[in-house]
Amino acid sequence: MSDPTGPEIVTVEPGVYSVLLNGRSYEARVEDGDDCVIVFIDGHRFEIEIQDPRRWSRRAGRRGVEGRLNIAAPMPGKVVRVLVAQGDTVEAGQGLLVVEAMKMQNEMKAPKAGRVVSLTAREGATVAAGEVLAAIE
Amino acid sequence: MSTPVFLKVLIANRGEIAVRIMRTLREMGIGTVAVFSDADRTSLHVRMADEAAWVGPSPSAESYLRIDRILDAARHHRAEAIHPGYGFLSENADFAAACEAAGIAFIGPSADSIRRMGSKTAARQMAIAAGAPVVPGAHDVLSGPAEARTFAREFGYPLLLKAVAGGGGKGMRRVDSDAELDSAFRDASSEAERSFKNPDLYVEKLIERPRHVEIQLLGDRHGHMIHFGERECSIQRRHQKVMEECPSPLVAARPGMREAMGEAAIRVARSAGYYNAGTVEFLVDAAGNFYFLEMNTRLQVEHPITELVTGHDLVRLQLEVAAGEPLRLQQRDIAWCGSAIECRVYAEDPYNNFFPSPGKLTRLTRPLGPGIRLDGCVYEGWTVPIDYDPLLAKLAVWSESRDESIARMLRALREYDVAGIHTNITFFRQILEDAEFRAGRLHTRFVDEFLERRQPFTAPEGLESIARLVAEFHAKHNGARREAEAPPQRSRWLQSGRLEALR
Repeated sequence: MSDPTGPEIVTVEPGVYSVLLNGRSYEARVEDGDDCVIVFIDGHRFEIEIQDPRRWSRRAGRRGVEGRLNIAAPMPGKVVRVLVAQGDTVEAGQGLLVVEAMKMQNEMKAPKAGRVVSLTAREGATVAAGEVLAAIE
Repeated sequence: MSTPVFLKVLIANRGEIAVRIMRTLREMGIGTVAVFSDADRTSLHVRMADEAAWVGPSPSAESYLRIDRILDAARHHRAEAIHPGYGFLSENADFAAACEAAGIAFIGPSADSIRRMGSKTAARQMAIAAGAPVVPGAHDVLSGPAEARTFAREFGYPLLLKAVAGGGGKGMRRVDSDAELDSAFRDASSEAERSFKNPDLYVEKLIERPRHVEIQLLGDRHGHMIHFGERECSIQRRHQKVMEECPSPLVAARPGMREAMGEAAIRVARSAGYYNAGTVEFLVDAAGNFYFLEMNTRLQVEHPITELVTGHDLVRLQLEVAAGEPLRLQQRDIAWCGSAIECRVYAEDPYNNFFPSPGKLTRLTRPLGPGIRLDGCVYEGWTVPIDYDPLLAKLAVWSESRDESIARMLRALREYDVAGIHTNITFFRQILEDAEFRAGRLHTRFVDEFLERRQPFTAPEGLESIARLVAEFHAKHNGARREAEAPPQRSRWLQSGRLEALR
């Protein structure tokens, strides 16, 4: 930093920081993401990865295109249609099931080509955000 | 203080509109009764009301749409009138009739008017009979291309061939000249035959890049009706209005247009014996020709911008005329001052195809200061339910001119902070910065075209390095403590299931 006094950061509310740097004032709002910290400044969104092995290591490496991929509900809602059966071979981008929340239907698509190795979603079932509905290998 | 028009009113709705109606009731010295479903026990409209009645489980079909339960609540709480808000039962003729039969005033038009305006084709016939312009078209089956050619000679190209049994754009063809007509007719007809097993077509004039402009009406039960001018609602996504303004930039630029639209709207409403608040929607072409589309027989979501520009409280006027009082305003009393814009703030993720984003609001800072009106139903710590429309608040601003209102809205959106869930706040900032929007060149496909041309919402130079500093600071000061305090992740559904079992 060129500023001899350096940036001054003050916590003004939980998750809200006031930053003074080179005579300018910024307000930053922070949310904890899955593998990162999400910082909002004036409506701009920054996903910042934190290099702290104590905090984040357990989340690392849980995802990859190789091997088994879980399909999780992106939001709480209801399964309105299941479009495939266990054991089906699917193309990347093929619709697997439809989840409805807040009167909007959202088709969950296969992230890669493969075989449906697990299918726990049932039509009419209520699901939580992040709940695993199917898996593709 | 004079005696209020009613002693107690039940609001058969939830969310921001229930809160908005309650505010006027309270100003008028009228008691308020809220209704709520399981999902809404902690919602703001219940917290604000004088009295509250549970009307059923979370799905609206089992609660907010249950006429019997709402009327039971009204009787039990001795409400003299029911305000239906918008959505839910607001345009349900059976509900209006059931209220009147129970001796409870329905704050809206008669059941008969709702029924007559409920069918689009019947409403179109009524508009024609009342002498209001409709999109030129022959809604009878065409015998062949020759008949469409005759139509084109009268109304001009482009025209639209549509399947009588149609829907979803199937069996529909745009025709720009005589030369294209024969083959377009053949294509549309065979596509209609394949899709609907019915080859019949009709013809309609195609309105290119139409605007959606609507007229606010209010009438009493003694035959007196006035209009409150127009609202421009061309900014729509998936046929849902997301941003509205008053006046319409097009109407404001054309002397006499507001009066002409207002008079046409009143003629249509009168022919249905209409009273209370209502809105007549028109399609408007670039030349300023307007065509009747349909009538909404209720208070509209976007009514606050009319209130800001005219200075009248439409809910108060609704209550007065519902009590049988004569409307105390004449047309000459209505004047339009300045410019108002409204943004519908939704719990949805503009970075992820606008998916709904229900969940808990962990932090909330509202815009304040000159010219701001915020009609909301949220508070810090509240969980946005998954069961209903994800509208969080309507942010409206007023200023002297359209340019100043745009600047004021941008300022207000910068102050608005909602954490824990995603909102479309930055999406509005981008639209308000768009050159086409600023020039007032609006039409109903505006948002679709905007989404194709919009640039990423890029941050100014240097902002990311500040974000990194803050992230490190946050991790250092919060990371360890959070790790220690964080409760194990649990499913909300599981928790509510357990609570259910304990009841």
